[in-house]
Amino acid sequence: MKSFTIAAVNLKRFVRDRSNVFFVFIFPMLLILVLGSAFGGDFQARLGVIAESEDPLAQDLVTRLQAIETVAVVEADSAEGALRSVERGELEAAVIIPADYDEAIGSGRTVSVEFLARSAQEASSLRSNVESAITQQAVVLRAARFAESEGLATFDAALSTATATEGFIGDVSVDVVAVGEAFALDELGQFDSSAQTQLLLFVFLTSLAGSSALIQTRRLGVARRMIATPTQVRNVLVGEGLGRFAVALVQGLFIMIGTWLIFGVDWGDPILATVILLLFSLVGSGAAMLMGAVFSNDEQAGGMGVLLGLGLAALGGCMMPLQVFELIAPGLYTVAHITPHAWGLEAFDSIVLSNGTFTDIAVFLLILVGYAVVFYALAIWRLRVVLTR
Amino acid sequence: MTQRTLECSGLRKVFDDLVAVDDVGFHIDAGETYGLLGPNGAGKTTSISMISGLLMRDGGTVTVGGREMTTTSTDAKALLGLVPQDIAVYPDLTARENLTFFGRLYDMDGKTLKARADEVLEIIGLSDRADDRTEDFSGGMKRRLNIGIGLLHKPALLILDEPTVGVDPQSRNAILESVEHLSREGMAVLYTTHYMEEAERLCDRVGIIDHGQIKAEGTRRELVQMVGQHDRVRLETTGSVDAAVAALDALDGVAKSDGGDGSIELLVIEAGEHLTEILSVVTESGVAVSGVDIDEPNLESVFLHLTGRALRD
Repeated sequence: MKSFTIAAVNLKRFVRDRSNVFFVFIFPMLLILVLGSAFGGDFQARLGVIAESEDPLAQDLVTRLQAIETVAVVEADSAEGALRSVERGELEAAVIIPADYDEAIGSGRTVSVEFLARSAQEASSLRSNVESAITQQAVVLRAARFAESEGLATFDAALSTATATEGFIGDVSVDVVAVGEAFALDELGQFDSSAQTQLLLFVFLTSLAGSSALIQTRRLGVARRMIATPTQVRNVLVGEGLGRFAVALVQGLFIMIGTWLIFGVDWGDPILATVILLLFSLVGSGAAMLMGAVFSNDEQAGGMGVLLGLGLAALGGCMMPLQVFELIAPGLYTVAHITPHAWGLEAFDSIVLSNGTFTDIAVFLLILVGYAVVFYALAIWRLRVVLTR
Repeated sequence: MTQRTLECSGLRKVFDDLVAVDDVGFHIDAGETYGLLGPNGAGKTTSISMISGLLMRDGGTVTVGGREMTTTSTDAKALLGLVPQDIAVYPDLTARENLTFFGRLYDMDGKTLKARADEVLEIIGLSDRADDRTEDFSGGMKRRLNIGIGLLHKPALLILDEPTVGVDPQSRNAILESVEHLSREGMAVLYTTHYMEEAERLCDRVGIIDHGQIKAEGTRRELVQMVGQHDRVRLETTGSVDAAVAALDALDGVAKSDGGDGSIELLVIEAGEHLTEILSVVTESGVAVSGVDIDEPNLESVFLHLTGRALRD
């Protein structure tokens, strides 16, 4: 119970510091946006379409654009309005279909469709989609033009026939078969880094920053005063750790739920994913408590926290997939499993990529429990030494 | 035999090559205030850290209310209230929140805790600032809250480690009055200080500590007598004093007397007890006394005598 009392005060103090609101709610939101954009499956780019003509070919192009799954077409009133919306980021891009679109095509002239985007890099994939829709329409138009030139039908009649038969023509697909031994980096696509790696990196890094809470409690003399009451050192440390564990867990859940709801990021079985996050948060808070017991000032702990947080994440496969380690240096793959990150990722990989069950990830979870127990035990030992000798 | 509230003996603590505390021992009974008087670095804080179970000791025993005190013994710690030298409160919590937090660590429950917190806030004069964050408090107010936390669970033994360091005179007086009040209520108090006047005012018995050892222990009077110090009495007189000085030399309790121009100076054991007799001898010798000045030896002079240096050296 005393540990809960200490944890409650720890959380109250954390919430009371307004700068922490940034780390609990705003920073994870930013991470949600980054993760969602990078790994989300249902994201639809907003494409403004200004059709300055009600003619059939112009409307046909609009229909083709609307048919693209990854694009949400927004009909805009004017080119100026669309330009402003793109500049403000309300639209990812806009397409302006000119008033003489049908007339120009009918008379065999070249017609330009204007594509507006903030930068070519941001809109490259969207532009490809728009070009693809225009190309599909152009194929039909060329077929009609060919029939007209051969005297088989008028352009309008040929266009009508070509459009009607468009759906019956099968696509040509290309199968790519890899031969020979691939160079390691070619495998990156197969084992693409995932939202899970970023989650583990973030949770561990922010947990380590929580070591400052214990350091502050020590520096204020409150830790010593607590053990002058009928409270054991282990209660003090577990209480402080629980506070940080709760913060890490809330942050992690916030990110997982946010990216899932907004961007449809796949975290696998939600209960198993939560269990992995819960245990990893426990490991992170344990590591934070160990640092808080070892270091005596915020600067030392802060510097070491960033170094360890990023270093262990890199070694543990959060920056380059573990499978790449296995390909380029099997020894490094083994070394990576010194870190809790590697075991957390193994567990996430199992439930996301292989629909793993609790039994499948039980070993990984046990190893994470082991890390937490070792970190907390070392932290309690160290804090006892620091406070009583 | 009545159980002592605190009994410690043979306390020893060594940091690397430095013997910080060596063979320190004393006892305190209920309602008694015991002072550990010594300069900075004498071993006071190290001693009370071992007594309160904060610091592992290299030797000796400590019992509080008959229960052995170690760094892990919760039953002995439940009887003890500690007021550390440095203010140990959360600055971003209010006074009431700090009291409530520590109260819970002393296993106090909701209603009892709330009532006791209100009571303590009244005692330390912070009722009107109870819901203000302590970071906005003055140094004196923080000190009072620091003491309040130690009193919260009505401990059998209250340990105050130099509680008036850096405190304004008004808060200092309030703190001393609180300690006197607690002692009257039956609480055993262990008070460390390097202010001689605080030890003289508050303490029933004093242990003089220097270089980690208790050099002497007893009531102020016992300590003064132990080192052979006498009260100095000066009489303002008119008339010839030779006969009076001769008569005074023969009196019990008068160690030495000197007559001068218009005055007589005496070294007396317990001046208060012998003053009437002294005045009567002088008057009978035909000398008129127009003024009396008694200078009792204090703990400062005892410390100087025992250690060869002043308390604040």
